[in-house]
Amino acid sequence: MSDEHDHHDHGPEMPDDAGSQALAEALRSSFAIVKIVMLLMVFVFFASGFFQVGPQEKGVILRFGKPVGEGQKALLSAGLHWSFPYPIDEVVKIPITEQQIVMSTVGWYFTTPEQEMSGEELPAGVSLNPAIDGYVITADRNIIHTRATLRYHIDDPIRYVFGFASASNTVQNALNNALLFAAARFTVDDILLNRVNEFREAVRQRVTDLTEAEQLGIIIEQCDIQSIPPRQLQSVFSQVMTSRENRNKLLIDAQSYTNRILSQAGAQAVSLTNAAATASANYVKSINAEAARFGDLLPYYQSNPSLFVQQTFVQTMGQVLTNVQRQEYLPTHADGKPIEVRLMLNDKPPEPKPAPSP
Amino acid sequence: MKRNILTVVIAAVLVLIFVLLLFVFQVRQSEVVVVTTFGRPVSNITEPGAYFKWPWPVQKVYRFDQRVQNFEDKFSENLTSDNNNLLTSVYVGWKISDAKAFFPKFAGGNVPAAQRMLESVLRSAKSAVIGHHMLSEFVNANPQDLKFDAIENEIEQAVETQLSTNDCGISIEFLGIKRLGLPESVTQTVFQRMTAERQVYISRAENDGKAQAQIIQSAADREAADTINNATAAAIRIQGAGEAEAAKVLPVFQQNPELAVFLLRISAIQQSLNQKTTLIFDERTPPFDLFTSLPTNSPSH
Repeated sequence: MSDEHDHHDHGPEMPDDAGSQALAEALRSSFAIVKIVMLLMVFVFFASGFFQVGPQEKGVILRFGKPVGEGQKALLSAGLHWSFPYPIDEVVKIPITEQQIVMSTVGWYFTTPEQEMSGEELPAGVSLNPAIDGYVITADRNIIHTRATLRYHIDDPIRYVFGFASASNTVQNALNNALLFAAARFTVDDILLNRVNEFREAVRQRVTDLTEAEQLGIIIEQCDIQSIPPRQLQSVFSQVMTSRENRNKLLIDAQSYTNRILSQAGAQAVSLTNAAATASANYVKSINAEAARFGDLLPYYQSNPSLFVQQTFVQTMGQVLTNVQRQEYLPTHADGKPIEVRLMLNDKPPEPKPAPSP
Repeated sequence: MKRNILTVVIAAVLVLIFVLLLFVFQVRQSEVVVVTTFGRPVSNITEPGAYFKWPWPVQKVYRFDQRVQNFEDKFSENLTSDNNNLLTSVYVGWKISDAKAFFPKFAGGNVPAAQRMLESVLRSAKSAVIGHHMLSEFVNANPQDLKFDAIENEIEQAVETQLSTNDCGISIEFLGIKRLGLPESVTQTVFQRMTAERQVYISRAENDGKAQAQIIQSAADREAADTINNATAAAIRIQGAGEAEAAKVLPVFQQNPELAVFLLRISAIQQSLNQKTTLIFDERTPPFDLFTSLPTNSPSH
């Protein structure tokens, strides 16, 4: 637009010179704009080299494709950094501090997460289809289901990211292999009951060994295992549990019977010996008393035995008869024959019958 | 002048960039590069960095992934040496070790083609190795008899040997068994066997519980009886000691045994006829003999 204005303003006086001068003027100002734009572009070009590394990640700068720095020094921690823009430098960000989780894929029967959440799993068939149902074979050639969850963090990000096309798949395969390997050494009862922790430790050890041998650059943090008998055999397995519990209960009952009967016997024994000691002491005491009485009475007896005997006996009978509850005196018949007496022996008299209601 | 120098510098920089774009290429970390001269592979670059080449159409650059790649074969059935059908799946970590050899083998470095080759090598290696081992070498509670690691190593050796014969520029980094399984019909027999085994455990637990309980209880009974018998014996000993003690006073009574016997009998009567006693007697018992011995005209006297 400005060109045309110039043309019209100065045109009539110096048409040729003015025109070329105006063109030169215009070109000069265009160049100035282009220069500014170019400077701006250069500035933007270098400014685009700033990048940010988040708290959960590490950055690596690849200069002409090669990491800048060796080993741990190559890792940029969280913050603002600068690199040459592409194609000189390339920034790769690697998640590192967060925990990585992989789950095994081979040991479990066919189920989807939705089914598992809702608890509505497909009913188990009579056999396991190798195409879809996973399981492991135990050392005693039995079949059980087991699955593992492995937590790890990345220790050497350069190795983890640039060494493997899919490092987490590699970890997962190591975990699958570890499950098989551990199951191949443990019997079904060891895995499910007796040596659960040892089994988990064996899986963990194997995963650690494999990932170290493969130089995956990870550190295993935790390995959780879940094992169940095949669903087809769930009832018979739980019957075994019940029968074992019953057995333990029988043993506990027998033990408590032992405790009870032994303490009873102990108490009875003590009371037996105590009673014997008391009786014996009483006996000794009474015989001594008798002896003392004997010594006292002997002179009287010797003075007139018959009279003494009669007197003592009658006196004693008198005493005794006052204590006695009931006394029956049965005179003999006039003809001297004894009278027949029948006794009904009963400790307690029978309860009197309630009076019949009118 | 000043403007000219600036122009020359800018022009030189632009030319330099253009030349660099034509003559220099990058090898990224994790990449391996094959440079071909008129289609013939001439060099093999595994170290990352910037490198020189002649521009197209003289030299061309082919890039490959140098990272370890996962490959898993199909879950397939093989026969063990003791005639068990065993299903196995193996995972392999492989990588392109020699891109110059790899490149012409698989139509310009076609990775799926390489995996197909790997699969067939793996299949034959697997069936050969599994055929030499018994099932009990795959699973065994005894660590000496378990050959799990050895089997994996043998498969890896076999695959590596075949690959080096083929000279296809692939190396095996690691190999392991991913899945083990039995044919579907066999799982059913295994279930039956496991059920039978469980039932043995059930009856064993029941019988064992009863037997153990009986043993414990009878031992307790015996111990209790022992305790009471010992106590009874001790009681008898105590009584005997008392009687021996009592016997010491016998000489006193020997001064006049008749009186002694009489007194003892009197004591006995006193003790036995204490309470809750019903006493029945006739007229001959003193002092009631008085009833008869009174002077009457009864015929008996």
